[in-house]
Amino acid sequence: MEQANPLRPDGESKGGVLAHLERLETQVSRSHKQSEELQSVQAQEGALGTKIHKLRRLRDELRAAVRHRRASVKACIANVEPNQTVEINEQEALEEKLENVKAILQAYHFTGLSGKLTSRGVCVCISTAFEGNLLDSYFVDLVIQKPLRIHHHSVPVFIPLEEIAAKYLQTNIQHFLFSLCEYLNAYSGRKYQADRLQSDFAALLTGPLQRNPLCNLLSFTYKLDPGGQSFPFCARLLYKDLTATLPTDVTVTCQGVEVLSTSWEEQRASHETLFCTKPLHQVFASFTRKGEKLDMSLVS
Amino acid sequence: MDETIAEFIKRTILKIPMNELTTILKAWDFLSENQLQTVNFRQRKESVVQHLIHLCEEKHASISDAAQLDIIYMQFHQHQKVWDVFQMSKGPGEDVDLFDMKQFKNSFKKILQRALKNVTVSFRETEENAVWIRIAWGTQYTKPNQYKPTYVVYYSQTPYAFTSSSMLRRNTPLLGQALTIASKHHQIVKMDLRSRYLDSLKAIVFKQYNQTFETHNSTTPLQERSLGLDINMDSRIIHENIVEKERVQRITQETFGDYPQPQLEFAQYKLETKFKSGLNGSILAEREEPLRCLIKFSSPHLLEALKSLAPAALVCRIQKLLCYSGSHSQGTQDPSSWQKDLYLLFVPLYPRC
Repeated sequence: MEQANPLRPDGESKGGVLAHLERLETQVSRSHKQSEELQSVQAQEGALGTKIHKLRRLRDELRAAVRHRRASVKACIANVEPNQTVEINEQEALEEKLENVKAILQAYHFTGLSGKLTSRGVCVCISTAFEGNLLDSYFVDLVIQKPLRIHHHSVPVFIPLEEIAAKYLQTNIQHFLFSLCEYLNAYSGRKYQADRLQSDFAALLTGPLQRNPLCNLLSFTYKLDPGGQSFPFCARLLYKDLTATLPTDVTVTCQGVEVLSTSWEEQRASHETLFCTKPLHQVFASFTRKGEKLDMSLVS
Repeated sequence: MDETIAEFIKRTILKIPMNELTTILKAWDFLSENQLQTVNFRQRKESVVQHLIHLCEEKHASISDAAQLDIIYMQFHQHQKVWDVFQMSKGPGEDVDLFDMKQFKNSFKKILQRALKNVTVSFRETEENAVWIRIAWGTQYTKPNQYKPTYVVYYSQTPYAFTSSSMLRRNTPLLGQALTIASKHHQIVKMDLRSRYLDSLKAIVFKQYNQTFETHNSTTPLQERSLGLDINMDSRIIHENIVEKERVQRITQETFGDYPQPQLEFAQYKLETKFKSGLNGSILAEREEPLRCLIKFSSPHLLEALKSLAPAALVCRIQKLLCYSGSHSQGTQDPSSWQKDLYLLFVPLYPRC
């Protein structure tokens, strides 16, 4: 700034003092302004600064809270997991047991005599078998009332169910069931033998197999060597015991021959014994094996 | 070939509808494949029949062959006849039944032929252990009438035989006798069952009408049938009497089951009842002797109709009528179980009488 020189000439010094005053005035107003600006800026700075502090504090708090939560959740999970696995294990164990029991109940019918409780009583299932082959199943639905009665059943009409029921149903139900089992198993066995004869050994039969519903009378003609010269045999099997699978009476005759030679007579007698002692299809199986043996001997 | 036989075969074939003709001829197995192939089945029926008669003549058809054809026709058209049921019984302590089909046939034929010289008896066995018997009746002096035969379906080793109701009633005792002796029974009795449907009679008599049994092996649980109302109704509407309806449905199902019912056309009950009157001094109520009535139910399909009665809540009136009766059937000593079932149906439905 120019220093005011009082020793300047008047013209210059007049302008000089007023100008000087003016200059000082503007300087003051400028510095006022500047200081005001400075103050407001400073105030703003201060406010912002406090805000920053606040936010920083908040941020730290939140971070701490998050950390805390995470830690506590982890602790929670660590506590809860063992409980849940225990529940799951128990449930699985129960389900497994249930499946087991259901499977046992289903498998029970392999024992031949099984049953299921119904709303009225019990439905008994008799599963028949012969020589290890599982055959048909028959049902008897019993109503448990004062006179025990049969509601309905699937037993074939020629099995004497009414007779057996009249004898044993009211007094000894066990005997009733076992007796019925006997009849049904024997019937199934006889039927199985007759069916096997018809299907597997049709080549040895020279005529149709005559049978009746109970399969207790079988009549057929057969030849040991189907194409050969031998005479056909006529067999008549009677099963008078309905609880047995082997015949009670067997007659084997030779068709068309009055008197048999001794060898044929021996064969006829041996066949009679065979039919009496072994199941029908096994006898015929042995016939086919013998036939094969004979062939082999002829060849050699 | 006799003219009468030719005429008889012709009339039998004319009865057969065209769509069944080839099946029946194949089952008859009298004309060979080659012969059948020469026939043009698309012609008018008369021409086909003429051709077939010609082929039968070539093969010298006999009366027994013609009878076989008649039996096959009847097997396909069972419902054209009304069938009666006969039940045979043995004496106590009889031997085991060793049924021999040959022996039965011979015995049956012999008995009839001894009694009536002129009679045509034909047999045809079916797979279900049944034998169809056709009898054309004649007398000592007249030839058998082939156009009015009696058919018998006998299930061997059972006490039951089904016969077509014949116009010639005088031969029924002889028929019964022949059946009884040939099948080694002692007595024969006609049951109170009659129907056009052999299958239904079989189902009732052999008790085969309900063949669903509960086992552990069945995977489908007992179905709970919805009443059919739920689907269309708003869940907010409570159906009145729903408990009662469910009970009726359950009892109906327990009694009748889920299977199709045997087809019965009518059932008849003899009823003895006393008149019950609210007013005192009614003449009928004071009567000492019970009133004897005959109640007859008839319907194209009786059991299905009864089955649908209960849900329709019409049972109450009928039940009251039967409830007052003493015995529900007379005439047969042992009411067969289906009749018992029919009676038992009504009693549990509405126990308050």
